[in-house]
Amino acid sequence: MLRIENLHVEVESKPILKGLDLEVRAGEVHAIMGPNGSGKSTLTQVLAGREDYVVTAGTALLDGRDLLAMSPEERAAAGLFLAFQYPIEIPGVNNAYLLKAAMNAQRRARGQPELDAFEFMKLIGAKLELMQMSRDFLRRSVNEGFSGGEKKRNEILQMLMLEPRLALLDETDSGLDVDALKVVANGINSLRSPERSMVLVTHYERLLELVVPDYVHVLANGRIVKSGGRELARELDERGYDWIQAEAAAS
Amino acid sequence: MSASVLHRRFERERVLTPGPFDERRRALDAFLTAGFPTRRDEAWRYTDLKPIAEGDFDVPPREVDAAVRERVRALLADVAAADAGDAAARIVVVDGRLDEALSRLDGSAGLEIVRLAPEQTADGRRGAAPHPLALLNRAFASDGVTLRTARGADVAGPVELFLVASGEGRIAQHPRVAVELGEGSRLDVVVHCVDAGNAEGWLNVVFDVTQHEDSRLALHRLQEHGARLHHTSLLRADVGRNATFVAGYADLGARVARNDIDVRLAAPGARADVFGVFVAAPGRHVDDEVYIEHAARETASDTAFRGIADRTGRGVFRGKVLVQRDAQKVDARQKSDNLLLAEQAEIDTRPELEIYADDVKCSHGATVGEIDADQMFYLRSRGVDEQNARALLTFAFANRLLARLAPERLRERATRLVAGQLPAPPAWEDVE
Repeated sequence: MLRIENLHVEVESKPILKGLDLEVRAGEVHAIMGPNGSGKSTLTQVLAGREDYVVTAGTALLDGRDLLAMSPEERAAAGLFLAFQYPIEIPGVNNAYLLKAAMNAQRRARGQPELDAFEFMKLIGAKLELMQMSRDFLRRSVNEGFSGGEKKRNEILQMLMLEPRLALLDETDSGLDVDALKVVANGINSLRSPERSMVLVTHYERLLELVVPDYVHVLANGRIVKSGGRELARELDERGYDWIQAEAAAS
Repeated sequence: MSASVLHRRFERERVLTPGPFDERRRALDAFLTAGFPTRRDEAWRYTDLKPIAEGDFDVPPREVDAAVRERVRALLADVAAADAGDAAARIVVVDGRLDEALSRLDGSAGLEIVRLAPEQTADGRRGAAPHPLALLNRAFASDGVTLRTARGADVAGPVELFLVASGEGRIAQHPRVAVELGEGSRLDVVVHCVDAGNAEGWLNVVFDVTQHEDSRLALHRLQEHGARLHHTSLLRADVGRNATFVAGYADLGARVARNDIDVRLAAPGARADVFGVFVAAPGRHVDDEVYIEHAARETASDTAFRGIADRTGRGVFRGKVLVQRDAQKVDARQKSDNLLLAEQAEIDTRPELEIYADDVKCSHGATVGEIDADQMFYLRSRGVDEQNARALLTFAFANRLLARLAPERLRERATRLVAGQLPAPPAWEDVE
């Protein structure tokens, strides 16, 4: 589904990703862990099409299509979704409007008929319930005045409505208490399927107890330096990252 | 318009609307000592009145023509239908003449509506410096109304006032509106400035507001003239003890639009909430000037304006809050936020505070910016294309203050008009 080869990315002329390789097949959940400043967020932003991130070398393909040549909205229509680490506040645009505009824009781009208000409301009712969010929330401006937890839940709600083929979740677990983490994890798990893939970027092992990944990668200094299974996350949680960076430096 | 042209027009107006004329002639003479202000005058630095001064506009015909009346009737049905039944009264001024056939002046409980005789018009608050366009309005004020509420009256439904440019001929119209609120009374006024046809001309309106103790006035105004009409307005309000004055302006049209709002908080507890939104489309010019005087202690004011300019559109906001020496415990806020949609677009904003008291809480701020890149990326990452994302964010920017317009029908119309001016109008139907 997603194939990244030798990806080099600069932000303000500073190299951040330095030859990153990653392959995610349909149905797989990958976790990317790593110390601060290793390039985790840069990876998700560049895949979603952030303009001020400059790709200097390498390729990223989504279902064989050149992801890096597409606009952000084309990537969304192709099935990519980014749950932002810091969701953006948009005063004056309410959540319902954004969701409906986003869904219908993507449906138009795919040649599908648009949803009417009735179909939309029917669809969102169940998703709100799953995310334990009240209906009033739809009338509020996007992320404005939301608590950290509400913002993260809102990202997952959007993901549930948009049903992406590939979801990138950037530190969706940070800033959540135990109960909110469970709600968010339930939301993510409800979307797992053989046709859909996910990349979870996280600092902490605790999300991975609830959303169990197929693969765990360690990103350090702009590259993936170690990959393993579920157990690698536990080891990182106990031992930190120093031993991996030492190992990588030695090799 | 030269002095001789204005004199000729004045003589015609005198024949058309007979009555005592001395006051009006004095106003004309006072206007002519300085003539039309130019950009050398500090108060007019950002707005060039040349298109008006050189416009050679005629006085309106004495009566509204039957064919014009039908056109206006159709227009009113379109822009105001749903509210008509709820309105306390409807006042329709066409090309400066009050049209009784289209109006409903009988009022409702506690509200008296009097058609102005020209000589009866007041001239703004006492002691206020004469405003040149108000002098011209006084000289030529061919028609107008006084709205007066009884003590304690809570008038149900808004008074709808339509200021219509018919599109017949090239007319300068100078209507006057006086509003006097009795003690403890409440009134909502909706002013709708609109063209019936492709009107070329000038509308120069004066509002003269007096509020007695504990009264509350809300005046909401939507200006949606076409690109060949000039609009100037002056509103002067004198707000008494514990009275509240609310003004909401939406300026979405006209070639040159200039609005002066001049509020005096005269006694303790008086409060003013003044807000506005303007959209300066390419080739348009909008200038909002808000002056708030805190003349007494424990008075409060909140001024908030949002402006949008696109390409050759030009916007101006100047606000001044004056706190007099004895006006302690004043709370005054002033905010101007502006959005430029293109590089050539220009908005000048100057919020100002002048404070002579020492125990006050005052704040002011101004921003001029472009569309936020993070918000754009967020919307696009959700699949909304670039053009629609820009339109949506522009709309959202205006909507923060448009949302305060009342009643709902006026707000909806303003909202639709703003959306319609955007490059890719969002389908703004509600989802619930």
